[in-house]
Amino acid sequence: MLKLLKSNGSKQNATGVSMRMNSESSLLHSHDGMAVEQLSDEVLAAQVARGESSALETLYDRYASTVLGISLKIIGDRAAAEDVLQETFWRVWRSAATYQSQRGSFAGWLFKIARNLAIDAYRRRNIRPRPIADVDDNDSKLDQTPDPNMDVARQSQELLKHNQVLSALATLPRVQRQVIEMAYFYGMTRQEIAEATGEALGTIHTRARLALQKLREELERDKFEG
Amino acid sequence: MDQRIEELLPLYALDALTDEEKDLVETYLREHPEARQQIEEMENAVSALPYGVPPVEPSPRSKEALMARVAADQRATSSTPKQASRPRVMRLGNIFQAFSMGVAIVAIVWAVILNTQLSQLRNEVSTLRNAIVAQANSLEQINQSVDQINAKLPQATPSAVMTISLQGTDVQPQAQGQLIADPNSQSAVLVIVGLTPLEAGRTYQVWLIQGDVPVSAGLLKVDVNGQGVLVVTSEAAIGSFDALGISVEPEEGSPQPTGDIVVLSALQ
Repeated sequence: MLKLLKSNGSKQNATGVSMRMNSESSLLHSHDGMAVEQLSDEVLAAQVARGESSALETLYDRYASTVLGISLKIIGDRAAAEDVLQETFWRVWRSAATYQSQRGSFAGWLFKIARNLAIDAYRRRNIRPRPIADVDDNDSKLDQTPDPNMDVARQSQELLKHNQVLSALATLPRVQRQVIEMAYFYGMTRQEIAEATGEALGTIHTRARLALQKLREELERDKFEG
Repeated sequence: MDQRIEELLPLYALDALTDEEKDLVETYLREHPEARQQIEEMENAVSALPYGVPPVEPSPRSKEALMARVAADQRATSSTPKQASRPRVMRLGNIFQAFSMGVAIVAIVWAVILNTQLSQLRNEVSTLRNAIVAQANSLEQINQSVDQINAKLPQATPSAVMTISLQGTDVQPQAQGQLIADPNSQSAVLVIVGLTPLEAGRTYQVWLIQGDVPVSAGLLKVDVNGQGVLVVTSEAAIGSFDALGISVEPEEGSPQPTGDIVVLSALQ
């Protein structure tokens, strides 16, 4: 079918095609600018600390899909991941006063809560450690496309960030990327990573340092706004 | 500077240390502010990692359950001080007086709560009413747009709009996009991200492909972030094509693809 293009010397993309009915809800869903939606995460977090539930709702709308994405990929079970999502924002509601903006971004703080809860949930459900085969490139947690059921406006924003991070990660050597995945998404300690990969601890240290350094440079170059 | 601890900083940022090791690093960070700067930079990179995972739209029930829990917590919090201020020991003669005062306070608090809730409900009703009006206006605009489209395309039969995922080839595997189209219409909206900005004198060209035959569907400009949007038009219905491709061409475009194919996805 695509002979002409194939003969042009380029490799054909083997990705399948997904078609779906586009819900009319994306047309009717209004995002008319409410002032609260323009507020920064840090301002909203301060409002949550004062007990303003509308601020929590705005933060939820802003980050729930990313938090659920992390949780689902770590746990692998939709219902459990939705529980982690709720628990994450419940923790935000209960402990927003402990968030300190000078220590880092709100998103970083939020994602750390979600990641830790998801890893705990995964460990409760799975007594045995995850086999190392799960961490190879065939099961990468970083190379899938966003949920097609998201509304178009938010999907575009998420897709952009997703692509920026994927592009940055793609610049890392596989072994460095593997260390990042094992540590961040599988909650493995440096000793566990060294044992699983058969590498010396010093090698793991070096890979982690180079990976984060390169990742930061690439994201800065790409003007990534998390 | 303690080289042994410095080596642990990236693993600390990735949360890949034992509790004892974390304590060591945190003590070190308190004593070495310059290391604190390093760790913040690393943590910024780590906080981007979640965006590398595809986002997933949550069930509406999750949000409802969360907000119901929050509302219950707010109600519980507002009633807590009354219990905390209750005296432990009272003389018999003061019991009635205290009871009466308690009833009066509860009544006042209850009235304030009811008044507050009433005010909140009024605000919510007002907000909802505004939202309904805004949605009605949006609907009206959409209906007008649909009427205009129908007037221009009287021959078109009603059919579903489809969203087709597009994926970069090995030349630019990071490229992704969507084609939003009614298969019976002759136009569609192409949204693409992740394309590499081109040097001067080069452009991306979109092709609709039927069998072996590519037909130009327009030149695609991308911004510095590699994002582009194009209204793709064709003389034939979009649904009659087998695939969509994007190639790199001279800036004036080409009658046939000549450069690298950076996006190629089947449409059926």
